[in-house]
Amino acid sequence: MTKKSTLSGGAPVSRRQALRTIGAAGALTAAASLPFSRGARAQAGVTLRWWSPQSSPAQLAAYKFQIAAFEAKNPGVKVNFEPTSDEGYPAQMAAAYASGQVPDVVTHIPSFAVASYFDKGLVEPFDDVIKMIGPEKYYPDANKTYEVKPGTFTGTGIGNTAADNFWVRKDLMEKAGISAIPRTWDEMRAALQKMQGGGIYGAPLPYGRNSATAFVLTTLVHGAGGQFFTPDLQVALASPETEHALEFYKSLRELCPPGATSYSWGEMITGFVSGACATGYYAGRVLVNVNNQNAAIADKITCTLYPTISKDVPQKSVNDFPSVFIPKGTKNLDAAKKFAAFLFDPEGYIKQLLAAPGHVLPVLKTIGENPTYLADPIIKKYPKEVELMTVSAAAGYNLGFESAKHKPNTKSVDIISSEALSEMGQRVALNNESIKTVIGDTAKKLEAIMKG
Amino acid sequence: MTSAVLGGAASVRPYSLQRHYALLGMLLIAPTILIFCAVIVYPLVTAIYLSLFSIYTPTLQGNWVGLANFRDMLGSGQFWGALWTNIVWTVGTLSLQLVFGIGTALLLNQNIWFRSLARSLILFPYFVSTVVAVLVWRWMFNDVYGILNHTLLAAHIVDMPIDWLGHMPNAMVSIIVIGAWKYFPFVVIAVLARLQTIPPQLYEAATIDGAGVWGRFWDVTLPQLRDVLVVIVLLRTIWDFKEFDLIYLLTGGGPVTSTQTLPILVYKQAFGLNAMGTASTYAIGMLLVLLSFMVLYLARVGRGKESA
Repeated sequence: MTKKSTLSGGAPVSRRQALRTIGAAGALTAAASLPFSRGARAQAGVTLRWWSPQSSPAQLAAYKFQIAAFEAKNPGVKVNFEPTSDEGYPAQMAAAYASGQVPDVVTHIPSFAVASYFDKGLVEPFDDVIKMIGPEKYYPDANKTYEVKPGTFTGTGIGNTAADNFWVRKDLMEKAGISAIPRTWDEMRAALQKMQGGGIYGAPLPYGRNSATAFVLTTLVHGAGGQFFTPDLQVALASPETEHALEFYKSLRELCPPGATSYSWGEMITGFVSGACATGYYAGRVLVNVNNQNAAIADKITCTLYPTISKDVPQKSVNDFPSVFIPKGTKNLDAAKKFAAFLFDPEGYIKQLLAAPGHVLPVLKTIGENPTYLADPIIKKYPKEVELMTVSAAAGYNLGFESAKHKPNTKSVDIISSEALSEMGQRVALNNESIKTVIGDTAKKLEAIMKG
Repeated sequence: MTSAVLGGAASVRPYSLQRHYALLGMLLIAPTILIFCAVIVYPLVTAIYLSLFSIYTPTLQGNWVGLANFRDMLGSGQFWGALWTNIVWTVGTLSLQLVFGIGTALLLNQNIWFRSLARSLILFPYFVSTVVAVLVWRWMFNDVYGILNHTLLAAHIVDMPIDWLGHMPNAMVSIIVIGAWKYFPFVVIAVLARLQTIPPQLYEAATIDGAGVWGRFWDVTLPQLRDVLVVIVLLRTIWDFKEFDLIYLLTGGGPVTSTQTLPILVYKQAFGLNAMGTASTYAIGMLLVLLSFMVLYLARVGRGKESA
């Protein structure tokens, strides 16, 4: 006997009939929903994915504003922001490329990384976007690091960043009887020794195995008058200058907090902003962080260019030239180009820059002279420091662009992410290994990377 | 002829049924085999295939190098150094997990106050996300603001903050202790479940025979726990050997390469140096090491069955 189910108000039906009915209804619904969902997707338009390692709360708020403004002007286009990190982006980009799931627009990663990806055919040409932004609006030579051949650009700068400013506490200098900001390494070491004590350390320099340590070593090797590569990109690490840089780096270990052995960017800025260290090595974000997080020292800080081994070696800034580029493989190239150009729309761009005033400096002259930008309280409060960072960043260099004579080094991101440089620093400063041996080993690693 | 046909028909019927059942069996097992192939066989074969090439990770393009990656791996100090670090970490953390786990399980098997609450709370480290646990520990280890250094300085035990994660042997000791803290609840759960099934008569008999607390533990509890401990040791060895996130987030493999285990080495080859072929080779090497543990375990189990 077949069991019967009774539908409310209707004739009795068998369970099998009920199941058939439900199944048929489900199939119909599924069939109907297929074209509908395709239609819905078409209506919804494209979704852009935007990656950046810069994602402080204030910056996220500015990005939200820019995204909302872009979506309002471009119905059917949606933009999702996805944060990455300074330490993590090489691995994330590698995984994204390998899986074919690339973001549509990437901002704020160093120019040498873009050059590296371009070299492997992984970047869309950016010429159209620069035309949309307006080449005449840029500061002169603002895009020189992105021009792989005349008229062909791999990306553009979203800003300039002087990454290695020498931040000092004027009150602690005065207390220690130091009349002038140190210019040479000997003066710096002596000043740090005088200022260290009473729970305050000399400097929050990183000794971790990370990109921050690699940046510091770049500053020091160049500050000793040396270079990692010859202009035609032969490894030039084995030099007395590198030895001097590593000796100095090692001698500073006792003037840094004990945990500096695992410090990276975050600990470096916190070390100075919190007041735990008398000096700092960081970009302009220090200004806003000090004012927001430790206002008591806001009037007691200033910055200058990082000291060098002697006055004969000129002071220069490491600028990672924060970029905007479009990875090859984006499924929404036209929309990505429109969005990349829109990031420079004055209202949103100024909001973005002022989310960390002095940290990411404008690449557009029209913005640098804009009254709204100049009216920012931090920019107004620290005009000398902002001016210094603006000028030094524009003339800055990095591992992928060691000097005007150097060819662009498209292996720089591989060198940083291989951790060869930070490992070199750790072996000397922490393991107390022979400097010559360590330099020799590191030079071999760099040669292998350059060949690979 | 009729009889032959009939006979033939009679022989076909059981054959059809058998075939029908065989087909049904294959049909029922097919999803399992398909999933097994998709999640085990395919990645394994792909890893072996990739290990024979020199491949740039972002483009997944490269050249055939045959067994050169394996030759380089066996000839490089990196692999052996990471393997040794892996063994130190695994043996260290597993030993502590067993000591803490068995000790806590014995305590929770007693009639103590708030036993139910304690049994629930003890699971907390196991359930908390590794990222959160690492953030909390890193904060406690912080040289300037961390509670550990603050306490030690306040108690005048040390003059300067201790560098817990950036100096050897502190870094290795720290990750071993944190690993033990994170995973000992697994040992507690498994051992406690077994403890609750040990007949009380065994303890009564041992007590009558004059066994003290240590004697009862050694002669009754431990033999009863042996089977479950073998399973725990095997599983935790495998899991600890391939631990990545905890160590990577705590030390990143440093200082220099002092805490760089094989999984971290594989990750750095794949995404730091963008050498997917070499990374696959290291992964295969790691698999072979784990396979040797498995063979040892199976041999041990086989001997146990024979002696029984």
